[in-house]
Amino acid sequence: MFDIQLMGLLNATLQAATLLFIAALGELITEKSGILNLGVEGMISVGAVSGFMVAVNTGNLFLSVLIGIFSAALFSSLHAFVTVILKQDQTVSGLILTILGLSLSALMGKKYVGKKLPVKIESLIDIDEPSNIYEVLISQNYIFYLAIFLMVATSFILKKTMFGRRLEAVGEDSRAADSMGLNVNKTQFIATCVGGGFSGLAGVYLTLSYVPYWTDNMTSGRGWIALALVIFGGWKPYRTAIGAVLFGFLEALVPRLQTYGFELSPYLVKITPYAITIIILVVLTIYKGGRTGAPNNIGIPFFRENR
Amino acid sequence: MNKYLISKKIVTNDLSTFYSFLIGLSVGITIGSIILLVQGQNPIEVFSLMLRLSVGSIKSISSSLNKATPLILAGLGISIINSVKLWNIGAEGQIFMGGIALNFMYISYEISNSKLSIILLLLSAFIGGSICILLPAAAKVLFGVNEIITTLLFNYIIIGFTVYLVNGPWKDPNSLNFPAATYVGKEVYLPTIFGRLSYGFIICILCTAGVYYLKEKSVFGYELRISGGSALTAIYAGINAKQKAFIAMLIGGGLAGLAGGVELLSQTHRVSTGLSQGFGYTAIIVAAITGMRPLGIFLVGSLFGALTIGGTVIQTMGVSSYIADVIQATTLFGALISQFFFTYKIMKVSEDV
Repeated sequence: MFDIQLMGLLNATLQAATLLFIAALGELITEKSGILNLGVEGMISVGAVSGFMVAVNTGNLFLSVLIGIFSAALFSSLHAFVTVILKQDQTVSGLILTILGLSLSALMGKKYVGKKLPVKIESLIDIDEPSNIYEVLISQNYIFYLAIFLMVATSFILKKTMFGRRLEAVGEDSRAADSMGLNVNKTQFIATCVGGGFSGLAGVYLTLSYVPYWTDNMTSGRGWIALALVIFGGWKPYRTAIGAVLFGFLEALVPRLQTYGFELSPYLVKITPYAITIIILVVLTIYKGGRTGAPNNIGIPFFRENR
Repeated sequence: MNKYLISKKIVTNDLSTFYSFLIGLSVGITIGSIILLVQGQNPIEVFSLMLRLSVGSIKSISSSLNKATPLILAGLGISIINSVKLWNIGAEGQIFMGGIALNFMYISYEISNSKLSIILLLLSAFIGGSICILLPAAAKVLFGVNEIITTLLFNYIIIGFTVYLVNGPWKDPNSLNFPAATYVGKEVYLPTIFGRLSYGFIICILCTAGVYYLKEKSVFGYELRISGGSALTAIYAGINAKQKAFIAMLIGGGLAGLAGGVELLSQTHRVSTGLSQGFGYTAIIVAAITGMRPLGIFLVGSLFGALTIGGTVIQTMGVSSYIADVIQATTLFGALISQFFFTYKIMKVSEDV
């Protein structure tokens, strides 16, 4: 009995972590190029609603995932246009991307609130009550394995490929990268849209598997936790994954505390993941001192003639 | 092959922020119209109704200005914090915390003089907002913890705390369908000036003037700008930049808390989850769109107040009130895009050189 409960907790941890991790990984790629995108919450929301709408209307799972990713990437290109091409303030643009994403998705999804999904992203192997770690690991959702693949792939691409090295060069010193003949604007634009696509995937996972339904503001701050995760992970994919599991564990543990016999107000319990996120962020920043691992040029627009 | 380079214009138009706001607004309205058309509504009909119901009569103008009050107060707070180049995304939570602190004072202490008690209650709302930003501010100045994320996460904590209070310790037994705290007594309601316009708007005007003075004319404002500009300059000038940043954040949070207090005493009269309807987020747009200028925040805040009122009333037509949010956000995007053309010039250069 205890084992099943524990495995249930592990299962829920991995499910919550998947969402946070995919969004954080996308933001990591964007930030590596020196662009800060605070619009994660909005992009997840746009991906979530468009994927859900396509799924309800067509029943085609593959198409809904694709559209979810694509629409969030397209949405993030607005941020890319304003900050990369037009050099406007990244903080302002990102914040408004969140506000716009949340309100736009609420508008789009108004008729879809409470609708039932004809399809759902399946698990690799269906096991109702996994009783050991192996069973938990093989009974996860397809997106979970995709997230693991993305983690390995992103880490490889960042470290071992030309694209990854260029990305890093642009994010660390855009002027040097420019004089080496790299196209800074193009790299940053692509990185921003890729980050948007990742958020879109996280959103599709939210509405087509994790929750699964659509309602306004259902992202409930996960995009912001993903942003905290990038800092937590020191802009490294594997460390970000560890962070995601930790935060996923918090999200999974909190609603279970009462069943474990703790006398807590359900309303107060809900705020603990946010509070713990802040505490972790503070402790981590103190521990690391100034060396956070942030790309050198993050948030600073690149001007070619400023030489 | 030709390439394009951009460079900052040496002379920029002083009114460029205003012009880009107007251009942005037209972008926002155009996008809003397209969305309405897609939803099968007549945009002209919807917008004229919004206009009539938000500024068409004394009653509706006063409602709009009441709605503008929290936006302006919270926006002013954001602009003070931004003078040290920091962001406060937590105005939404601070508004709630202002209301909570006010209500706490109200139930804890009884003051017979109603005027004095209103002042003390609003003061406690201000302090409540400051307390709400205390930890992010301290973490920022002491350890350099990213204030954007911490202030934002505090929103979820404070709103969660509000839900707890109105469902638990402060729950009004007479409020069955909508969990809320008990109403405050009529003696502490903010009186109205005319129509429905509350004295809160006077507070708003005073705060706008105060923040303008503080930011633009006072020594403190000058020190804030230096602190936000360059760490080295601040050291040379003998300014304790961290201390200034800390004080600026407490004042900014306090203004958002005051917004919550005014909203409670003039509009909702009780603590509930409806105390703020995203005012803290809209205030960010208001502050950013005006380039953090107090007078601009006052004007744009008033306009967005009207837009919010308009957005609320068109819900009866089956149009989602989110349309107002979309218009506000796209207005800022439009303004950002047009601001580019006011501040930069594009040069065509030949690559062959």
